[in-house]
Amino acid sequence: MTRDRPWQRAEIPGPIKAFIIEKPESLAALMKRAKRLVIVVGNKLAYTEELGTEPEEFLVSMAKALKAHLVATGKNFRSLREKGYEHIYLMPAPEIVDRLRDPSWRGLDGGGQYDMAVFVGFPYYYEWVLLNGLKHSAYKHLKTISLDPYYHPNATFALPNLLPKDWCNYLKAVVKALSGE
Amino acid sequence: MARKLKVKIDEVRSPVALLKNLEISIGKIVEEWEEPEGPTPFPTVTDLRDWDLKLLSRYKPLYIPLCDLCCLCTFGKCDLSQGRTGACGLDIAAQQSRIVLLACCIGAATHTSHARELVEYLIEKYGRDTPIDLGTDVHVEAPVTRLVCGVRPRTLGDLEDVLDYVESQIVEMLSATHTGQEGSNIDFESKVFHVGMLDHVAMEIADIAQIVALGFPKADPETPLAELGIGTIDITKPVILCIGHNIAPGSEIVDFIERSGLSGLVEVCGLCCTAHELTRYTGQAKIVGPISWQVKFVRTGVPDVIVIDEQCIRTDIVKEAKKVGAVVIATSRKNCQGFPDKTREPADKIVEELINGKIPGALILDPEKVGEVAVKAALKIAPRRAKFKAIPSMEEVVSQAKRCRKCRECERACPNNLPISKALAEAAQGKLDRLAELYDLCIACKRCESSCPAGIPILDLMEKAAERKMKEERFRIRVGRGPIQDTEIREVGRPIVLGEIPGVIAFVGCANYANGGKELVEMCEEFLRRRYIVVASGCAAMTIAMYKDEEGKTLYEKYPGYFDAGGLVNVGSCVANAHISGAAIKIASIFAKRKLRANYKEIADYILNRVGAVGIAWGAMSQKAASIAAGFWRLGVPVIVGPHGSKYRRMLLGRRDREEDWYVYDARTGKKVYVGPVPEHLFYAAETKEEAMVMAAKLCMRANDTTKGRAIKLTHYVDLHRRFFGTLPDDLHLFVRTVADVPITMKDEILKFLKEKGWKEMEIPDPTLLEELVRKP
Repeated sequence: MTRDRPWQRAEIPGPIKAFIIEKPESLAALMKRAKRLVIVVGNKLAYTEELGTEPEEFLVSMAKALKAHLVATGKNFRSLREKGYEHIYLMPAPEIVDRLRDPSWRGLDGGGQYDMAVFVGFPYYYEWVLLNGLKHSAYKHLKTISLDPYYHPNATFALPNLLPKDWCNYLKAVVKALSGE
Repeated sequence: MARKLKVKIDEVRSPVALLKNLEISIGKIVEEWEEPEGPTPFPTVTDLRDWDLKLLSRYKPLYIPLCDLCCLCTFGKCDLSQGRTGACGLDIAAQQSRIVLLACCIGAATHTSHARELVEYLIEKYGRDTPIDLGTDVHVEAPVTRLVCGVRPRTLGDLEDVLDYVESQIVEMLSATHTGQEGSNIDFESKVFHVGMLDHVAMEIADIAQIVALGFPKADPETPLAELGIGTIDITKPVILCIGHNIAPGSEIVDFIERSGLSGLVEVCGLCCTAHELTRYTGQAKIVGPISWQVKFVRTGVPDVIVIDEQCIRTDIVKEAKKVGAVVIATSRKNCQGFPDKTREPADKIVEELINGKIPGALILDPEKVGEVAVKAALKIAPRRAKFKAIPSMEEVVSQAKRCRKCRECERACPNNLPISKALAEAAQGKLDRLAELYDLCIACKRCESSCPAGIPILDLMEKAAERKMKEERFRIRVGRGPIQDTEIREVGRPIVLGEIPGVIAFVGCANYANGGKELVEMCEEFLRRRYIVVASGCAAMTIAMYKDEEGKTLYEKYPGYFDAGGLVNVGSCVANAHISGAAIKIASIFAKRKLRANYKEIADYILNRVGAVGIAWGAMSQKAASIAAGFWRLGVPVIVGPHGSKYRRMLLGRRDREEDWYVYDARTGKKVYVGPVPEHLFYAAETKEEAMVMAAKLCMRANDTTKGRAIKLTHYVDLHRRFFGTLPDDLHLFVRTVADVPITMKDEILKFLKEKGWKEMEIPDPTLLEELVRKP
């Protein structure tokens, strides 16, 4: 499996492509540098045998460590809220992307626009175009990261294509690095 | 009717006569029509541009490019990333809207060409003077044409004049996409709206022409139920399969069978919209399924003769037919498939050449001859194919599955990322359950097969795994009824406009669903149970029929076909979509008595502010779907698409947090009044069916809702939101204007919520975006 090509074969990107972050520690360091970070979680995240853990657990742990805002885009709001993190918001993906491109938007809590947005858990093609929208319209104020186990060329930073087990290990290592263990 | 030059003389005296109210047009005499002509007959794009700009200032495009480059001219390729412009000066926003315009021009041109071909055929067969008579319950017979063009077509011949206008406008809009023409993304978007509007005119022309000439049902809510599904096809008979959209060849096949005394001896079935039309034409025809069933069905080896006309036909259908030894007849100038033109040759000679394999297929541009050749060829070839087995054996499936290299290239190629390699791994062990599960989710695009380095015929394997399921595909669909009756509009106009019927939800468009057609059925039934009016067309109308409840009933057997609360209305094929926009227009015209003739802006303003209608194209994929949606946008009807619809490259989104975007005029006083974000978006690509349902309920709210109506709509919005997301909507306060809007069963909870939000009462105006409609400035 190629690590650095768009997961869906024909989703060929433009001249500007995401940097691949191979090391989870590097990704953790990158996220720590953000002043205002939001994690946008789609509804494709699911427990699998290979994964061994609820992926949402990792995301909540990351958000807690980074004091980031967490956006659920739909029915996943219910399960994420049950994880007991106070900065969880509900907003559909088109609406959060529309606001993230607007430099004057004040954010989910009125505290100001974000400078980094992490996306995870969407259908590949859907996230591909949403990230591309931000690549073109929000590049002056926003960096994006795709946390999916597929290379997403339209993010600023992305993971390589990973098998579920390797992805799980990657997320665990990010959480570990963020919590300073 | 349509005219190049019009002269209007109020009064003229001459030595021989006194003439009053004389109206002459060069080429045609303008007919009498009691309704005076409105401000925009046969509009150009700039005639309605101010209306478009009002919509686009509220619903701003969010561009999500599918491609960062422009490759349309040889200056390029040009990189338009992150503020760069192309060699012609175009930026990424303008380029995206330009591509949307191009797609809509393709879509509208396709319907228009279909309409032109159909009208020419029907005029030749039935005469130019064939009256446009849609039955005693339909007096406003062509609401879209009346609204846009300001004319009232009386005969088939009149329809040609309307098409002249549509064609000239599409050419003009297409020319705007040339290098060095339009440079503003907003003006491209306005042109998109214009093309969408034209598309609805063309669709209306196509459908009313075939209804009046071929005797299709005329607005009958109780049309019969037709059989649908692979399992309904009688494989003991010669089988003729018609694929596409144009009924002309299919109707001639049916006629030839009857003329030849072969009724009941030949099976005629259809795929895609031609199938709808066949069942509207005859009670004998069957529907195989929507567009995504083409390869699935051909690979069963059942069809003996495949007749293709136009649109949405797999371009590799000839190769697929060859694999199973079926004969193919092409019947449209637009889709010749490389076949020799046999139009002028004797039918029996063509039949011989086809069945003996002397020609790879035949192009026959005479529908009547198609009828004769298809039937005779089917009768001759069927006995030869009787023992033909197309679906592989169990041993072949296991042996093929063992060849899988686990490279996952199939999954990388699959539009829905289906877990194919895992299913193949189990199949290699003789376990086919996972492969059978994929059959329901697969749209049969075959990208997996074409990318498999081992050349495994994955779809064949899936068909074997789901063989029993395929044979059990036996469903019933209510035949497409065509327009909505004027009397039905009178009945439901008030409850819709006042909000007491919570909304009209139209399920339209093609397949290509993210998680199979079941999601569409679930959404449909949810709104039926809630007593919305549910309308369906095209492939979506077929998919809705493809699931049964525990009692073995499809939704068409459970819900009535009336345009009323809790009704499920199949209008017909994709050209019948014009009856959906037509119904919204007729509410303004018949119920509210707004002037219809060439009065586009006022009617669209009425619909935007008063008619709670929403379109859902869950599997939208084609250019036609884009232009159909655009026609709804200009009329003020929001459209939700599934996640694949994000590839249309942009959405049209409102911002509820920008109060300044949601002011309207109160037509009574001229005062500007905040009405809340209703409807909040005009074009929206939802990620999940749950999100789509909540959004649809929300987008049905309109500024004119009465307090009772708003309370009903809020009940559904809050209930769906709470069911799927587990909480009250955070924007609820924006939709409550007075305490009387609050649903009584949720009063305490919502009042508490409103208090926390610092909510204040709002006025309920007589809403309009058009200053000229203010009665007391």
